Amino acid sequence: MSPEGVTSPNPVGDAIGKSVPRLEAREKLTGQAVYTDDMTLPGMLHAAMLGAPYAHARIRSIDTSEAEALEGVRAVVTAEDLPKKKYVGVFLKDQMTFAGDKVRYISEPIAAVAADTLEIARKALQLIEVEYEELPAVFDPEEALEADAPILHENRDEYPCPYERPEHPNAVAYTQFKEGDIDNAWAECDVIVEGVYETPAQEHMYMEPCSTLVAVDANGKITIWSSMQSVFRVQTMIAEAFDMPMSKVRVIAPRIGGGFGGKCDLTNQPATVALALKSGRPVKMTLSREDDMMMMKSRHAGKIYCRTGARKDGTLVAREMRLFLDGGAYADESPEVSTVAAFFGRGPYRIPHVNVESWSVYTNKLRASAFRGFGNPQATFASERQIDEVAEKLGMDPIDLRIKNALQSGDKWLGGQTVEGGSLAECLEKARAASDWDKRRQNNGKEVRPGKRRGICVSGMSHISGMLSAGAAVRLHEDGTVTVNTGAVDIGEGADTVMAQICAGALGLSLDQVNYGNPDTDSSPYNFQTSASRVTYMVGKAVEQASERVREQMFRHAGEMLECAEDDLELRPGGVIGIRGVGDAAVPFAAIAGRSLYASGGPIMGTHNWLFEGERFDPKRALVRGFALDGIGVFTFGAHVVEVDVDMATGKTEVLEAWCAHDVGRALNPGAVDGQIHGAFAQGLGYGLYEELVWDDGRLVNPTMMDYKVPGPLDLPYKIHPILIENPSDGPFGAKGIGEIALVGTAPAICNAITAATGAAINRIPATPERVLRAILAAEGGS
Amino acid sequence: MSEMDVIEKQPVTLRVNGNVHELEIAPARTLLDVLRSELRLTGAKRSCNQGVCGACSVLRDGKPVRACISLAFAAEDSEITTIEGLADGNRLSRVQQAFVDAGAVQCGFCMPAMVIAATALLNENPNPGVEEIRHGLGGNICRCSGYVKVVDAILSLTEGSKS
Amino acid sequence: MRYLAPGSLKEALDILRREDDARCIAGGATLVAMMNADLVAVDVLVGLGRIAELSGITETDDEVRIGAMTRHAEIAASPVLTGALGVVRSAAGQIAHPAVRNMGTIGGSICHADPAADFPAALLAADATIEAASAEGTRQIPIGEFFEDYFETALREGEIVTAIRLPRGPAGARGHHVKFSRVDGDYATVSVSAVLVMAGATCSYARIALGSSGPVPIRVTAAEEALVGSPLDQAAIAEAARLLAEAADPVDDVRGTTEYRLMLIPRLLARALNTLKDGETASV
Repeated sequence: MSPEGVTSPNPVGDAIGKSVPRLEAREKLTGQAVYTDDMTLPGMLHAAMLGAPYAHARIRSIDTSEAEALEGVRAVVTAEDLPKKKYVGVFLKDQMTFAGDKVRYISEPIAAVAADTLEIARKALQLIEVEYEELPAVFDPEEALEADAPILHENRDEYPCPYERPEHPNAVAYTQFKEGDIDNAWAECDVIVEGVYETPAQEHMYMEPCSTLVAVDANGKITIWSSMQSVFRVQTMIAEAFDMPMSKVRVIAPRIGGGFGGKCDLTNQPATVALALKSGRPVKMTLSREDDMMMMKSRHAGKIYCRTGARKDGTLVAREMRLFLDGGAYADESPEVSTVAAFFGRGPYRIPHVNVESWSVYTNKLRASAFRGFGNPQATFASERQIDEVAEKLGMDPIDLRIKNALQSGDKWLGGQTVEGGSLAECLEKARAASDWDKRRQNNGKEVRPGKRRGICVSGMSHISGMLSAGAAVRLHEDGTVTVNTGAVDIGEGADTVMAQICAGALGLSLDQVNYGNPDTDSSPYNFQTSASRVTYMVGKAVEQASERVREQMFRHAGEMLECAEDDLELRPGGVIGIRGVGDAAVPFAAIAGRSLYASGGPIMGTHNWLFEGERFDPKRALVRGFALDGIGVFTFGAHVVEVDVDMATGKTEVLEAWCAHDVGRALNPGAVDGQIHGAFAQGLGYGLYEELVWDDGRLVNPTMMDYKVPGPLDLPYKIHPILIENPSDGPFGAKGIGEIALVGTAPAICNAITAATGAAINRIPATPERVLRAILAAEGGS
Repeated sequence: MSEMDVIEKQPVTLRVNGNVHELEIAPARTLLDVLRSELRLTGAKRSCNQGVCGACSVLRDGKPVRACISLAFAAEDSEITTIEGLADGNRLSRVQQAFVDAGAVQCGFCMPAMVIAATALLNENPNPGVEEIRHGLGGNICRCSGYVKVVDAILSLTEGSKS
Repeated sequence: MRYLAPGSLKEALDILRREDDARCIAGGATLVAMMNADLVAVDVLVGLGRIAELSGITETDDEVRIGAMTRHAEIAASPVLTGALGVVRSAAGQIAHPAVRNMGTIGGSICHADPAADFPAALLAADATIEAASAEGTRQIPIGEFFEDYFETALREGEIVTAIRLPRGPAGARGHHVKFSRVDGDYATVSVSAVLVMAGATCSYARIALGSSGPVPIRVTAAEEALVGSPLDQAAIAEAARLLAEAADPVDDVRGTTEYRLMLIPRLLARALNTLKDGETASV
């Protein structure tokens, strides 16, 4: 299958497959790069938000008069200043800019102030008087699903929702996939492993806290610069929240200091827009780190009940999984996250009998949202831990067991979509070879360094790449250079550079001849979002094809200019079209551009727009109930081998080395691909060993970088070895997305290695020293 | 009279990137705040604002410090160098160029501080090994890169890498 | 708020006597972070950076004197801090990260009196004396009396810590600070500072202090007595650890539960003692 049956051209020149530096590297390294908080407009005000002190409370009254009276305060906004009952969200729309009748988590924004200085704004927040009536709260998803649990959204029938909501009012969404005959399958199994797995609410901790700058012009058109993952999602949702036409909303992407899913959809844009509309002045709101952590979003904490059965020969037979994902107080992306989690409940293995059920649930905590991996890391943690347990029980090499059961091209995914590029086994073999697996495995459990036990182990992983729609436009300038426009916001992963490389490769240009335009809803073709490992695959395909349209138009001109058939023409590196086999018969792009502008045909511009339309679920194969998304992307596969030392005195784990094999289709910029793997591994290591938002009665106890630790240079191995496998996909020049997958299997690979080192079962992450030490003591006590 | 007028401003002299700035500021203001707001040197970033993440790093008399937890007044007797002071016009410093070449940059928000830390490290120890580099960068958090290419960039400037 | 930067100790002490709500700022690392978070408000800040007499490390035959404004980085690199005093050098090198060590000062650190910091336990193990000056004169405060509670010291209104005085310690002594933290550069979950003399295979002197194990650094003489005269075998270490853990009262927070911290005490004590017993110099 290829998108719309479109095949890639052969790249011309050397732009494809080359580790060219980032287009914006120089500006980022000299301090010239402009992020939202670096911008200042004349008359600009500074803003901050007030968060609620209760996890669940009815708002009796809000008195902002004292705050408004403070000198230097230019606007105070609350729910009263926004259109009533204009709920926003993704699928399930349940959220307002400011809490109206109720607050549902501690620090939920209830008001915002714009003032001459940030100090005044912060002072004014303290003068806002709010009367609350505290309500019983619930913090655990399973408790929230009990019959007598406090209800977060009594008014949920008001919320626009395109799917049938689960019966329990605290259930955001439910998904079930059922295949085969699970009830009778267990009898076929020689070994059955069963366990409960817990995964944490991880903080995105993008280095740039959320920041938005809004200006309103004399005609009421608003312009938004913000740290975000999509100019178009922000435009759509702001128009929705403020009940205004999208033609009055312009959104521009400055440089973005990381997102990882946390800046998908809306962050602090609506509050800033409300202040700009009310004050009539430009307003900038940059969240403090603490406000960002307490007010914005996190990954869904998960509790996963899992059971896996296999035959003696290692054939996997049955898998049952129930996932409870903590969605926090508002839906945000919860329905999609819980359906994607279920989608990966079987993992990339042939297991004939499967029953996976997944819930996302409201609790009185920070809302959970998109985060690199999007539900998959939770499911994969449980799945890959259990695959390892099966291998252990059967005395099989964990790589052999995985290869034996690995999905192959042509197999069906859970639900029925056909797997293309089923290269899990190849990834596992490459990781095995690169890591010198057989030799290193002999050290498992040994004291290679004093006081520490060594362990090496593995995990397999899969993800999707694709989703929804994207467009691109390529315009030929008068001098033969081009400008590429897309709506793809580069949040740091390098899309600008890769999009420029794709255009350069398609047209035989050097990167100097390609200008990449900044995403701006006033002028950029549509793109859904920088998410779902989709930009290279989706937007890249659009750029490749838009470039092809430019080439076709240029070939028509060149054929006329060189008096030959278009079929005899070729692109030559540097922006030249010539006759194949005739060295000096050629015209430069500039001549063609000039001809088009002044003599014949008009300006040359190529566009391409497309929607990913994947295979649908197969009702004959699978029972699919509840909210489920199908045809969301192409599959990607990878395998990680990780070696650790565990300090037996303290339980602290040190990751020594990692081998990360990934099928990327084609590495358009190998250095950038390596960077994505390094970074995703690092974030996955944090997820596996250190990172966890902790609440005490609804209050986040570690909302600072002092207390919530992400891995620093000394907490990560230098030896993270990406291994790139290139089985071309139908994406641009064969590429597919690598943004998320390397996070997905990192935590289970580390925990499997801890087990290999110590014999202790680590079923809860982060695997803090305390948890590991307790598991070691338990394992020692048990033997 | 508003609350803010009560806050007294005091004169302060700062030497930044070789320029002398005479300012009148409230004494509670941090060096980071003054660099970013008054001097419009926005290369040093505010991220944690409590001295933990390193994104605000600048050089004080050649040594890296956290601008977010330095009072501007306490910097009066020092020579401050920010990321904007490292390049010579359009010519990048060798550390900046090494970061470009190694592909160390992703979102870039931590990068000015990383370059500052790397510059200080190399000034102190022109030929650090991997472990010394990791220690030298210790307090600089990057959420994108896993630090591998940052270490590579610095390694590329050492003697060992030239053989 | 006003900022004053006296050029001499006398001038600083005059300001403290004159001004009602003045607060000294040393390296600033902790205080400014707290100001940023609106956790403290100050009327008058007295910057000590210009007082040359407060900086630097000097030595006599009997003792090493560290000026209160000496930065962690200088202490961590000091060739003077050897033998028993290796415990202080070792602790300094493990505080946070290079940039913070270029800012923070030993005086600022101990006046903040955070029991999770590295210096309090190390100075207790090193038997330091804190020298404090006020307009009335100078007094010497034994380290055991300096820390009174979480973030509380014996320092009086109008007093400034001027120096930390470290006795050389017994002949042949070695000191080492073992720190366990969640990630590199974090505050300690538990730390153990130890100074030891070995006479052949037998321990002839021990002075041990725990950090992050209660409101103040913990020292138990009975635990030291359990070690002295022993070959630092498992039994002796276990007994010393038991006594120390009994006296400890660690918090339960994101850096570790109370129970885990208590589990770490014997484990880290053994690590510190074995490091010193084996004659390894304090490695940072």
